[in-house]
Amino acid sequence: MSTAGFNDFARRFAESRTAVISLLISLVFIACALFAPLISPTDPYDLTQLQLSDALKPAGSKRMLPGEEIRANIRIAGGAISVEPAAPAQTRENIAAEPCGANCLGVGVLPEGTKLASLQIRNLPAGATVEGGKKHIVQPWWTVDNPEGGKVRIVSNGPLPENFTILAIAKSLDQETDFVFRLGTDGFGRDMLSAILYGIRISVFVGLVAAGAAMVLGTGLGLLAAWRGGVTDAVIMRAVDFMLGLPALLVGLAILAILGNGVSKVLLAIVIVQWSYYARTARSFAMSELGKEYVEAARCLRLSPARIMLRHVLPNCMPQIIVLFTLNIAAAISLESSLSFLGVGLPLTRPSLGMLIASGYEFIFSHKYWISIYPGVVLLVMIVAMNLLGDRLRDLNNPRLDR
Amino acid sequence: MNEMIFEAKDLSRSFAVGSSALRDLANHFLRDRPPTVLRAVDNVSLTLREGETLGVVGESGCGKSTLARMIAGILPASSGERHFRGESYASFLARKRDALKVQMVFQDPLSSLNPRLRVGEIVGEAAVLHGLVPRSKVKDYVVDILSRVGLPADSIGRYPHQFSGGQRQRIGIARALAVKPDMLICDEAVAALDVSVQAQIINLLMDIKRDSGLSMIFISHDLGVIRHLCDRVAVMYLGRVVELAATAELFSSPTHPYTRMLLDGMPKISLQRRKFMPIQGEIPSPLNPPSGCHFHPRCPIATERCSRIRPELREIAPGHVHACLNVEEQ
Amino acid sequence: MTEPFFQVDGLNTWFFTRQGVVKSVRDISFDLRRGEVLGIVGESGSGKSVTGMSIMGQIDDPGRIVSGSIALDGEELTAFTFEEMRRYRGRKIAMVFQNPLMTLNPLMRVRDQMYEAISEHEDISRKEMHDRCIEVLKAVGIPSPEERLDAYPHEMSGGMRQRVVIATALLLGPDMIIADEPTTALDVTIQAQIIYHIRRQIDERGLGMIWISHDLSTLSELADRILVMYAGAMMEIGTTEDIIGSPRHPYTRKLLDSVPSRNTPGERLRQIPGNMPSLLSLAKGCPFASRCERATEVCSEPVPATELSATHRIWCYHPFEG
Repeated sequence: MSTAGFNDFARRFAESRTAVISLLISLVFIACALFAPLISPTDPYDLTQLQLSDALKPAGSKRMLPGEEIRANIRIAGGAISVEPAAPAQTRENIAAEPCGANCLGVGVLPEGTKLASLQIRNLPAGATVEGGKKHIVQPWWTVDNPEGGKVRIVSNGPLPENFTILAIAKSLDQETDFVFRLGTDGFGRDMLSAILYGIRISVFVGLVAAGAAMVLGTGLGLLAAWRGGVTDAVIMRAVDFMLGLPALLVGLAILAILGNGVSKVLLAIVIVQWSYYARTARSFAMSELGKEYVEAARCLRLSPARIMLRHVLPNCMPQIIVLFTLNIAAAISLESSLSFLGVGLPLTRPSLGMLIASGYEFIFSHKYWISIYPGVVLLVMIVAMNLLGDRLRDLNNPRLDR
Repeated sequence: MNEMIFEAKDLSRSFAVGSSALRDLANHFLRDRPPTVLRAVDNVSLTLREGETLGVVGESGCGKSTLARMIAGILPASSGERHFRGESYASFLARKRDALKVQMVFQDPLSSLNPRLRVGEIVGEAAVLHGLVPRSKVKDYVVDILSRVGLPADSIGRYPHQFSGGQRQRIGIARALAVKPDMLICDEAVAALDVSVQAQIINLLMDIKRDSGLSMIFISHDLGVIRHLCDRVAVMYLGRVVELAATAELFSSPTHPYTRMLLDGMPKISLQRRKFMPIQGEIPSPLNPPSGCHFHPRCPIATERCSRIRPELREIAPGHVHACLNVEEQ
Repeated sequence: MTEPFFQVDGLNTWFFTRQGVVKSVRDISFDLRRGEVLGIVGESGSGKSVTGMSIMGQIDDPGRIVSGSIALDGEELTAFTFEEMRRYRGRKIAMVFQNPLMTLNPLMRVRDQMYEAISEHEDISRKEMHDRCIEVLKAVGIPSPEERLDAYPHEMSGGMRQRVVIATALLLGPDMIIADEPTTALDVTIQAQIIYHIRRQIDERGLGMIWISHDLSTLSELADRILVMYAGAMMEIGTTEDIIGSPRHPYTRKLLDSVPSRNTPGERLRQIPGNMPSLLSLAKGCPFASRCERATEVCSEPVPATELSATHRIWCYHPFEG
């Protein structure tokens, strides 16, 4: 198309504010899809970053470092105190012990002032107790909840024995970090914002690739049917009729049930469902173009059938096919989301928007609505924007009646 | 007398209308009727000599467009023969490069040019593809042809919709000329144009013919244009040729009743309001033509024989043939 | 000669498009008498169709009648509201277009369409409607009108359809019919028949008719008076004898000269050089000047009307001698 032609087209397009907004929104989504790794706060696929303790948090909550539990054996041997961490190997905090008087041993956690949920001492020597502690019902374990200053004191009426070993178990409180989950987290502790961004990425990718492949396949078959006519046309059109008669979702389900999950299989399923729309449209426009005199002229000029179809007929069908493509991207995204929602689409670890919606479904009525609603709203906006865009293109393509 | 460049013998073209294998079968058993067949062209024979312009005139349903496309080689014949310079079309059309020698100019300036291609491509495409012109030289070649049809060089970068109807017809003519044809078929090439533009295009065709010695078949419903352009004229009615003669003779002494009716009805510039004779009858549908002579229901001199016997073309005067049972030789 | 019953005076119909103002019809004035056929001849872009549509009140956005008067029996049509014009149409003025499928609904039988045309404006019994339909169908020369009533438009030939359209136009007994290229798409023999029947109806019913065409030959045989238009303006108007017998305007002469039957067969046709100017950027003065051999400086001034005789008027600074 010439530049002047394009400018005129752009101007007419821009006459509808809805269309311009839809275009902008669609572009935003495409940008999200392209730049998701760069703009996403976390990588939702990185399983090591997930903490179950973060799960099901509402929007705006901060990530918490879960409290750790550290154990250490404290050995007193001839006045010397040695601390051997029992488990785990590496900890943020360390247990330390120091005498706090004649018959007193202070056990605490470094760094100083760390808030502890509890500090438990086991294997106390006879006669010794923990100040302020509660004894376990059965076991000889003493626990102090929320010890002040992160320390407890082991006291005894008489002097503490020369050699003994105690086990100290410290549980620190969950720490608040500065990282904010802007849209909350899902059932696995995934940041919803990241998951949604990556979900958009998958949806857009699947939508574009699947709709694109369906376009190529369907258009090719439609052109073939129009050119050949006769039996070829009849066979292809009956296949189209058949495909159009089946509900898209059921076909997708069936195909994925047979083939299993995975991105490539979802793409295949969508292509199988959608090619028929293109075939029908391409065939109908190709047939009307084939009746026009410029095609007769091309035949008179003894051009090959392939050349006529591809160089003459196809470009005249393209506008309508592009419109169909735009509308179909939305349909492809919608189909993929439905399939993922039903659990047969993409795997759990690489969630698409549909999958996110599905995983949050159980929580909708227990106040943790955001897990389904946010991806749902995003999906809705994306599909509506693309549909409106496609509608506008289709309206623009219709020859105007006042000629 | 010049060589014969084109000959058609008993050329026919039938279309099966609305048939399918199933329907044909059903019709056959249930109603004993043959499937509906439209004989668009019914045993037409004619010849064209080198450098000659043959006019084919007729009204709707006469089959002239179908005939044009068969002569151009873009529609196969159901039966009959076509020869180009003595060679049968079967082998002639198989050699694409030679088949370029027969070209066609179409009627509708709107749909006869591909709206998505630039004029340069429209005109130059075939010449390059068939090796008539090397790609490096095609631009100059196209500009040259466009100037021959009266279009400026900057046309090559523009699209058809940027041109007027007359200009688009020129582009169509340029497209045909670009492959160096020897025979040009004009199918109602000026019908869709205004009178003054029509004059320009007719003059252009005459100039081209004179300069390149093209042989032409000119299809039209407009008798005035035919009379001006053509050396000989064939009159068609419902798929058949009913009269064929040199132009001057056809217009001065038409012999077939249909030709007479046609000439009578032709609007002429006149100073008087004409008292039109109410000529009866519609043109019958080609799907269900009258038996025997197709024209007999409307013919003022029809007899009972005319409804039974199909008249053959016979010579009524030197170089003048017609298909009528009742008019005697002169 | 009777008084004219229909008058157009100073009609200006312009189209306000994004690219600019297209002045399709500029200062057109003419009149029409009962029983008379006025032919308006011109090429594409001459404004002849827009004139017809303006009279029928069918100019839509982005066009409108900018100024001028259209009066039938004293009633000013340009002052009508949409509703009033709608009721007027069909009843007083009927229009026939080139393509009958524009007027006929392909999904309705002819009978239903004709009945609908009547019942829109009149309240009469079905029997009366039926009789009237048969009568007009016969009047336009349609054989077996009873059968035609039952048919759908696509079941008829082009000529038959156009006759049905004309018959429908006659149904309400209009005072005037405007026909825009009604027979252009039809075969010559059918055209001849239709013209015959129309002429008879015009004479019998005392109708006024405006016949718009690009074909001077047809008009010369049918019209009583002819108006020649070019690029939206009037060039020449007169009786058929005036225009065909002694055309004085250079454009009219050129138009006549370019008809093949007025040229020697085999010779180059006398053609009009150049192209019609764009209606977007019209200079003032005579629009034909750019293509006229007789044009001089003065032709770029607005051209006044010159009365050559009681019937013959011309807009030209350099008319041919009589």
